[in-house]
Amino acid sequence: MVYAIFLLSIILVLGFMSFSSKPSPIYGGVGLIISGAVGCSIIMGFGVSFMGLMVFLIYLGGMLVVFGYTTAMATEEYPETWGSSIVIWGALLSGILMESLLMVWLLEHDGMEVAVGFNNLESWIMFMDKGFSIIREDSLGVSALYNYVNWFMVAAGWALFVSVLIVIEVIRGK
Amino acid sequence: MKLPILTIIMTTIFTGTMLTMISSHWLLIWIGLEINMLSIIPILTKNQKPRSTEAATKYFLTQATASMLLMFTIVFNAMHSGQWTTTNIDPNNMIVSLTMIIALTMKLGMTPFHFWVPEVTQGVSLMTGMLLLTWQKLAPISIMMQMFTSINPIILLLIALMSVLVGGWGGLNQTQLRKILAYSSIAHMGWMMAILTFCPSLTMLNLLIYLMLTIIMFTMLNMNTNMTTLTLSNLWNKSPTITMMILISLLSLGGLPPLTGFLPKWIIIQELTKNNNIAMATVMAIMALLNLYFYMRLIYSTSLTLFPTPNNIKMKWQFQPKKRSLFLSPLIILSTLTLPLSPVLSTLN
Repeated sequence: MVYAIFLLSIILVLGFMSFSSKPSPIYGGVGLIISGAVGCSIIMGFGVSFMGLMVFLIYLGGMLVVFGYTTAMATEEYPETWGSSIVIWGALLSGILMESLLMVWLLEHDGMEVAVGFNNLESWIMFMDKGFSIIREDSLGVSALYNYVNWFMVAAGWALFVSVLIVIEVIRGK
Repeated sequence: MKLPILTIIMTTIFTGTMLTMISSHWLLIWIGLEINMLSIIPILTKNQKPRSTEAATKYFLTQATASMLLMFTIVFNAMHSGQWTTTNIDPNNMIVSLTMIIALTMKLGMTPFHFWVPEVTQGVSLMTGMLLLTWQKLAPISIMMQMFTSINPIILLLIALMSVLVGGWGGLNQTQLRKILAYSSIAHMGWMMAILTFCPSLTMLNLLIYLMLTIIMFTMLNMNTNMTTLTLSNLWNKSPTITMMILISLLSLGGLPPLTGFLPKWIIIQELTKNNNIAMATVMAIMALLNLYFYMRLIYSTSLTLFPTPNNIKMKWQFQPKKRSLFLSPLIILSTLTLPLSPVLSTLN
């Protein structure tokens, strides 16, 4: 299992292919779940546990569930699945081809450093004059949103609120 | 659209551009651009016609592609230089300088990414088209003015030259006024970007004068809802003052000497020749003649000639006009009569 993260990254790319080839949204939702879960496992493997858990709970457990329910309500009579049209076959095959070429490059021509060479995602330990401190980028970043960059929190919340408002306004019709 | 929602959306458009203009961190700049793009979509579809929906879709697709390319360039720059400031991009990094220019010129609607500008401007109403051609240019130009030292000048000059060419030639066969103003916008963006790597204050000058002229043109066209050259040719009867104002504003937009619109062209050509770019200056000046030709055609049918009309049109009974126009007189004066103020430019840095 030395290549755990590498294998997970291959599954990530295949999962992205499964919804980028644009089948009907309910099938794309399956691809999103798989690639989201695998992406969380990859970053947890690098040590960023807080971020992975947040994405799992909120993205997969909150947003994707709502997305799944809404696409189940808005599904069509003959949905396009992964083998149904030549367009989707073409997108899938070109994606798989490029992923295999990338795999060959990573394994044979010594390019693994690009794919799995992240080594500063865990905690930082700062040694100062008296004592030392531990800095974790993920959780300290979230808490910095509340004290150092208050205004950005407001702007981000406003942007999220306005995007929902815009979507509802655009589909309102007459 | 209900008033509270319109207020929220307008505030968000303003916030997006402001966020882009005040930031020095690339991520915040990108966030501002995205907020801006997302919140102008309901303004584009305010009309509820299929053509407006198509225009909004085209706008969204091109701007989303440009934002995606910009995000790629930002991450690439962060990976290779290790920092996220706007002013310290390494000009030797060819991928970053190339894709950054492509992303930003795609946002501005410059050639070869200009195809969406006439169609989106035509598909929306006059005032929305004005918003699209004036406010939406502010954010990408402010980014380019922050990073002008790291731009590859050859690529930018090529794009600017092509924009001036396309803006001139593309507007020749148009009778719809919104498309004419869209091609005029493409050509003016070309003039602005040609001088960016040499002297960005002139880009700002050209932008300000272009903004004033475009706002005044759209406002005057909106007063009688003129969308085609044909309706413009009946304007002499309805409001002769607007006819005269359209004449001088269009001449100023085309860059004719005693009017303000001559100032940016003159000083841009001067700066280009100081930097030994005589061929570029010559070609751009010649192509500005094409722009002037289709403005002259508008003026010909509006003010200089009277088309044959039935006799009952010649005596028109009109009530008071209902459309309010803010700042009409100050803007007209500023955009046509301020050429004598040009020595003030020597006081700028």
